[in-house]
Amino acid sequence: MRFFKRIMKTIFMKTIVSAASAQKAKVKPEIPTLTHILSEFNDCVDLVHRYYPEVNVHLVYFDHQVDHDKLYREVMNPLIHVHAEEEVPKLLEQSQFTLVRDSKELVEGILSGRVAIFSNSKTYLVDVFGLQSRSVSQSESETVITGPHDAFTEQAGINLSLIRQRIKSSHLKVIKLSVGEVTKTDVYILYIKDIANMTYVNEAIRRISNIEIDAVFDTNMLLQFIDDAPFSIFPQFLTSERPEAIASKLVAGRIVGIVDGSPSALSAPTSFFEYFSSSDDYNQRWMLGSASRLLRFLALFITLSFTSLYVSVTTFHYEMIPENLLITLTESRSKVPFPPLFEALFMEVTIELLREAGARLPSKIGQTIGIVGGIVIGQAAVQAGLTSNILIIAVASSAIASFVTPAYVMSASIRFLRFGLIILAGVWGNFGLAVGISAIVIHLSGLTSLGSSYLTPIAPFKPRDWKDVFIIAPFKYITERPSQSKSPNTVKNKMRK
Amino acid sequence: MNDKLSHFHVTILIYITQTGAVIITLPRLLAEHFGTNGWLSLLFVYMVVSVNLLLITAVYRLGKGKSIFEIMERSISKIILYPFYLAIASLWAMLGCLAAKQYVLIFQMIAFPTTNPMIFKLLIDILAFILIIKNVYKIAKAATVFFWMIVWMILLLFYFYGDFEWSRLTPFVFQDSAITLNSFFSIYLAFLGYEVCLLLFPYVDKRTKLMKAVQISNLMLTFTYVYLSIIAYGFYGYKHLKTLEYPLLNMFAYIQFPFVQGTENLLFGFLLFSIIITIVMYWWGAKEISVQILPLKGRVLAFIILFISFCISYIPKSINDTERWLSILGYAEIGLSFGLPIGLILLLLIQRMRGEAR
Repeated sequence: MRFFKRIMKTIFMKTIVSAASAQKAKVKPEIPTLTHILSEFNDCVDLVHRYYPEVNVHLVYFDHQVDHDKLYREVMNPLIHVHAEEEVPKLLEQSQFTLVRDSKELVEGILSGRVAIFSNSKTYLVDVFGLQSRSVSQSESETVITGPHDAFTEQAGINLSLIRQRIKSSHLKVIKLSVGEVTKTDVYILYIKDIANMTYVNEAIRRISNIEIDAVFDTNMLLQFIDDAPFSIFPQFLTSERPEAIASKLVAGRIVGIVDGSPSALSAPTSFFEYFSSSDDYNQRWMLGSASRLLRFLALFITLSFTSLYVSVTTFHYEMIPENLLITLTESRSKVPFPPLFEALFMEVTIELLREAGARLPSKIGQTIGIVGGIVIGQAAVQAGLTSNILIIAVASSAIASFVTPAYVMSASIRFLRFGLIILAGVWGNFGLAVGISAIVIHLSGLTSLGSSYLTPIAPFKPRDWKDVFIIAPFKYITERPSQSKSPNTVKNKMRK
Repeated sequence: MNDKLSHFHVTILIYITQTGAVIITLPRLLAEHFGTNGWLSLLFVYMVVSVNLLLITAVYRLGKGKSIFEIMERSISKIILYPFYLAIASLWAMLGCLAAKQYVLIFQMIAFPTTNPMIFKLLIDILAFILIIKNVYKIAKAATVFFWMIVWMILLLFYFYGDFEWSRLTPFVFQDSAITLNSFFSIYLAFLGYEVCLLLFPYVDKRTKLMKAVQISNLMLTFTYVYLSIIAYGFYGYKHLKTLEYPLLNMFAYIQFPFVQGTENLLFGFLLFSIIITIVMYWWGAKEISVQILPLKGRVLAFIILFISFCISYIPKSINDTERWLSILGYAEIGLSFGLPIGLILLLLIQRMRGEAR
């Protein structure tokens, strides 16, 4: 019976599939007409429809999406110089005019800033796109002391040119995809042929092509659709606003994604440790760069453990505090009526509120918030007996340490995890802390970025990568691309040591 | 997941699996059972473990890397094998469970005397469950990170160099002790964990050099034990060592830094990183064997195993009870670690004679 059902199901499925494919084959492109286009864009006040009665030519375009100089130069001026309708087809034979036979293609063309030209029964598109956008400026979220200061803008074209300016190679390939059924946002996948591993390129294209959503507005939004583990707190794609950082990822064999309308580019595959590197590290002497990087890993430890250790020790393990310090701590805590867990959570939430307020307000008011928060609340909280002095030091060090992480998304994830560790430490002391850290490690060990291990080069163990991950060796000694990118061309430095 | 375990991962995985809570009692066990310079017995045990590993190597080579289940099921009926599988799965599930319980009870004793230890046990079981439901490749990755998080603790032994005296080691060997077979068994328990490599055959390839990796981890473990024991002998002297229940905890408690002292519960907390892998590997082994009997999803099986072991772990109430249970099961495990490879070798030889092993 089951066998019979299966056969019937197969037959019916085949019939349905073949009928659907036959129907698909029958669908012919709709011939574009002016009436259709005008009805399609009905109630769009920004749509311009111009008619040249002398030559019987109609122009249709969106006023704010075209470069008016270019429009005049490429379309209007030549049309003015045509004196008879018969001369128009000859003019439209020029290479900048593209003949369009499909109405859908024409609609998409107009939407992306092209001008539609209707002449006789034929329709053409000409690219005069000229969107107004802000000029290239410094990055607000990723500042560096040395090195280039330009940052990506919201226009993908400019961003692509900033990368092309840095990688002048015909091997730098760009694939264009479209995401968002309503927004039709352009997404560009960049890779360097013969350096990037095509498995990653194909995987990224597959994941982006599978997105079925009405709108995508930003890179950080896009990458949440293509994450390996969407429920994880950790970012699985590195984002950056810095063209030179993104160019260096491409040269390292990674792939890059640019979303039109977003000033950040994504790079993959990435590892947990990559979020602790900054462009600045490479622009300093290698020893100073290495020291900065090690300092960031120390900051990671401080962010995660300082406040939770305070809570653990003052709740359960007073014996861990040396005698001299114990007197100070006891005095400081004697006025505080709450358990250390609540005391710490109160201060940590206050710090997070200050951070959030500082980020949302204009920079001048933000500074005031910093002073109010840092001096007034901190000092007043101690005097009012709400917290101890030592907790203020622990919370402040932990907050400062969290801002040392160059990638904001990673820094935010770590700060969030800190709350979990504080609660565990408050409930189960050092045991809770060990359980919390174990849980983080177990979670990290299961994470992947584009299918590649998130803990590279620790696990899988790749010691040759360490000289460009935990420290920065002199450039002469960094001879190979990161193993995570699985590049077919691993050697990047042929200099003699 | 088609990834194969790498040589380094296997080395670390087995090393961490072997390292368990016994490490905190080891110097006392050596002093009790072997008296003066008892640490020398570790070398003997190392050699016995190496012989056992050679037997496993023979299984790996004769079986050409086939899984042990494939080898057994080729010649033995499943009706006979299923009770055997069930016995091994139960043994490993119990070993994992009791290792966790022992750790929890010690932690409760040193830091949380009024807290119900089963709450801690539940936390560890949840952590273990999260790890068991992942594949062995991910378990090995977690083990590697945990390794780096605890390996630095060996450096703490430098702290004792100032108070270390060679004279406390005495020039005598194995004096003031009655060495019995039981003495060796009690030390051998500290080396167990390597036998789970029998289940790793399908997850490795030639490049992994599985058995070489296991031999290296055994060597690393012996080095750690010998180094720790020599320091403990030279720091306390064997007579004093006999009186200490958990010498390593006492040593941790002795360490003082300007900002922190009495670090035993913090450092013992770090030992969780190693113990979690030990119990996970035993439970993972139990799950792998149970799959042969009950073709259920890995998650379901892992849950069943953990749930049953959690219920059983309610029975031993004290550390003494737990350690007694662990010893009995440990002896069974020693028998299994020798018996299973020998049985498999015989089976493979018979299969070869019959011309089945193709």
